Amino acid sequence: MKTAWRFRYGPRQVTMTRFRERSAFDFRNTRARHASCAVLALLAVCLAALPLPAQQIIDVLLKNGHVIDPHNERNGRFDIAIVGEKIFRVEQGIPASHAKKVVDVSEFYVTPGLIDLHTHFDAQGAWLNLQPDHHALTNGVTTAVDAGSSGWKGFETFKETTIDKAKTRVLALLNIVAAGMYGPEIENDKDELDVEGAVKMVSKYPEIIVGIKTAHYEPPDWEAVDRAVEAAEQSNTVLMVDFRPKPDRDYPELILEYMRPGDLHTHMYSRNFSWLDENKKVKSYMWAARKRGVLFDVGHGNGSFYFRIAVPAIKAGFLPDTISTDIHKRSIMLPRANMATTMSKFLNMGLTIEQIVERTTVNPAKSIRRTELGTLSEGAEADIAVFRLKRGKFGFLDSGRAKMVGDKKLFCVLTVRKGEIVWDTEGLAATEFTQAGPYTNFR
Amino acid sequence: MNDRAPVVLGVIALCFLWALAPVNAAFAQIYDLLLKDAHVIDPANEIDGLRDVAVKGNRIARVAANLDPAGATKTVDLKGLYVTPGFVDLHAHPYLCNSGSLFPDDTWLTTGTTTIVACGDAGWRNFDDFKKTIIDRSSTRVLAFINIVGRGIAGGKAEHDISDMEPKKTAAKINEYPDLIVGIKTAHYSNPDWIAIDRSIEAGRLTNRPIIVDSGILTNIGRSTRDKVLDKLRPGDMHTHFYNDRQVEIISRFGGGKVHEYMWEARRRGVLFDMGHGAGSFLWPVATKAMEQGYPPDTISTDLHQKSVRASQPDMPNCISKMMRLGMPLREAIRRSTVIPAESIDKFPEIGTLGEGKIADIAVLAVERGIFSFKDAWGKKLMADRRAHAVLTVRNGEIVFDEDGLAFPLWSEAGDYDKIP
Repeated sequence: MKTAWRFRYGPRQVTMTRFRERSAFDFRNTRARHASCAVLALLAVCLAALPLPAQQIIDVLLKNGHVIDPHNERNGRFDIAIVGEKIFRVEQGIPASHAKKVVDVSEFYVTPGLIDLHTHFDAQGAWLNLQPDHHALTNGVTTAVDAGSSGWKGFETFKETTIDKAKTRVLALLNIVAAGMYGPEIENDKDELDVEGAVKMVSKYPEIIVGIKTAHYEPPDWEAVDRAVEAAEQSNTVLMVDFRPKPDRDYPELILEYMRPGDLHTHMYSRNFSWLDENKKVKSYMWAARKRGVLFDVGHGNGSFYFRIAVPAIKAGFLPDTISTDIHKRSIMLPRANMATTMSKFLNMGLTIEQIVERTTVNPAKSIRRTELGTLSEGAEADIAVFRLKRGKFGFLDSGRAKMVGDKKLFCVLTVRKGEIVWDTEGLAATEFTQAGPYTNFR
Repeated sequence: MNDRAPVVLGVIALCFLWALAPVNAAFAQIYDLLLKDAHVIDPANEIDGLRDVAVKGNRIARVAANLDPAGATKTVDLKGLYVTPGFVDLHAHPYLCNSGSLFPDDTWLTTGTTTIVACGDAGWRNFDDFKKTIIDRSSTRVLAFINIVGRGIAGGKAEHDISDMEPKKTAAKINEYPDLIVGIKTAHYSNPDWIAIDRSIEAGRLTNRPIIVDSGILTNIGRSTRDKVLDKLRPGDMHTHFYNDRQVEIISRFGGGKVHEYMWEARRRGVLFDMGHGAGSFLWPVATKAMEQGYPPDTISTDLHQKSVRASQPDMPNCISKMMRLGMPLREAIRRSTVIPAESIDKFPEIGTLGEGKIADIAVLAVERGIFSFKDAWGKKLMADRRAHAVLTVRNGEIVFDEDGLAFPLWSEAGDYDKIP
């Protein structure tokens, strides 16, 4: 590597030095100075007469897409110019000649890179986890929040082995269970509910750990929720709750008394709660909780999203605040709980694409207090997703393996993360091989 | 007597019905799963046409036209789709020590691939860990080419450590897991000698198994492609990454793009050439030139890992689509993704077939028409008008992937369902 560098840049440096020496000498001579000025002027005239190519200061230009950017109230045709890692301009009619690479996205929706609030990406951790770059970036998700796969004890390993290596921005809700999500024996152990350890870890990595998670707790008491609230309170972060109601620990109490405004209840359309009455009307405590500011998150997963609950709930007007996947090794198989498919399910249940983008960008960003994310603001990190909306006949399975048939489906065709095109399944930014010049030994 | 006659008749009738009953009962559950009205392509059994495929337990029960859905617990209408044996991917990376790997089920079962062969991920030192952490936990059938390097694919330095290339220890590990380890892999060795290949062949001799080779062209220092494919590799040995221009010199650099004579000779000798697409080893200029001259890969395989899966997405249906674009008929591409890879690792007819009585590993494919672009390993594209993609996968008799929910009922007709089987 070092030799190559010297070889490439060495001779040029030498030339520059020589030139400087010589000119310094020459400039003491007035006649020589005049002569060189004349030559320079002549050169300038010649250059001005040439048709100069436009300055290609834009690295990537996404041209003419249907931009939906709720944070900036954009909903229409715009060009997005990327320079380096940042969004440079979002405007109409940015000339293509100013860009090194132009991608025609006129057939597609263009959104801010999505935020998935409920993922399991501690890939070297418990078996159910998946890899972020494989499943997030390919779905337009540029920010994935790991929902309690690790507790404070395993967090630094998670950070080293996955978070630091991933292209995806991986944030985390730290499990209140110190040892993390490693099965009932550990997750039901009261001694593992460690507020102090969790708070310490949050304060060590405030950029990555955005909140606390409690999940899978089976004992009939409120211990896990209490400790999790305490940790969230002390670390001044949000709490996400995965809750299993028990006779002495019912759901209305959780969302009306225990959870704080701004906290998230995930798995809202799971079959564990009976917040729809016999007439499929939403019970009043749900509206009361929403009024209090408790947030409701989808967290699709392998057992937490049922059409038989979601469809009537949405018909009754009880929409999710945030749409997330709870993606892991099981939910990705039959229920296909990836972001694009999960969004498509909501599209076919009657939400508009604008409502869906809101619930996968600004809403989750606000809930984890990271409002610099989920936006196409000029100057923001260039995280962008491009979607094709296909029409046809599609089937979608829920967590109970029951099917909904729909006529729309979203496919993520291109993803930009930190200015880099990290996913381009239709080759929109790729060159035809016949136009690519001699890129192998055989052309 | 007279008024007893009806009773006797009744008893006789009952006996008659009773005798029939077991037949009825059996008939009611002849099949657990019936895949109906698909175009079945099963090269192993020379089937290429409309058939039904019936599964009982974890095995294929019958493949025939017009099987009666009344005898099946679950019937799936697959009109307009293709049913093939589950694909066998000879070049997979489910366990790379330097963490470039992918997990088997979410990567391969969702793309119609039911058997993968880890291509040198682990050597004899870490094979047990590979088995414990990945093989035993996956629904995908995970087999392995064991790396001749004891530590497996563990980075450049480790892979050039010839003291860690021990044929006897490698052979001993193969003999410990003869069903799982199907051959020996050598990779990434760029010294000018033949040590890595020789030791792999030695381990192959000791265990009667093929080797699979990934190695650069070092013609000017004496390790030419000709020597490799004509002198070193034995019949049945494989060279992966073959539509590449730095691994095997298929096409003459100077002779107007002709396939080298030694490549034809190697093929006649029985050396096999494997696609191993990956992030650097399927290039349109090479592939188009070779296919124009009738030089296809013997086996289609992916070399999927974290980099390639996002770059050119070379999953099995993607690679099959690419071969179709180059003129290979679908049936032939399926053959090179099922029977031939299975045969090459001596697993046929156990896998790679829809033969009756075999384990039910099945892929369901859709072949879409439209305008598609396919990127090669260096990101350059070629447009095509057909694309194969996986829509449903059966592994060991169980539906493990079903993109459109073809095998499941409508939620509005399923009552207060919990988990529908």
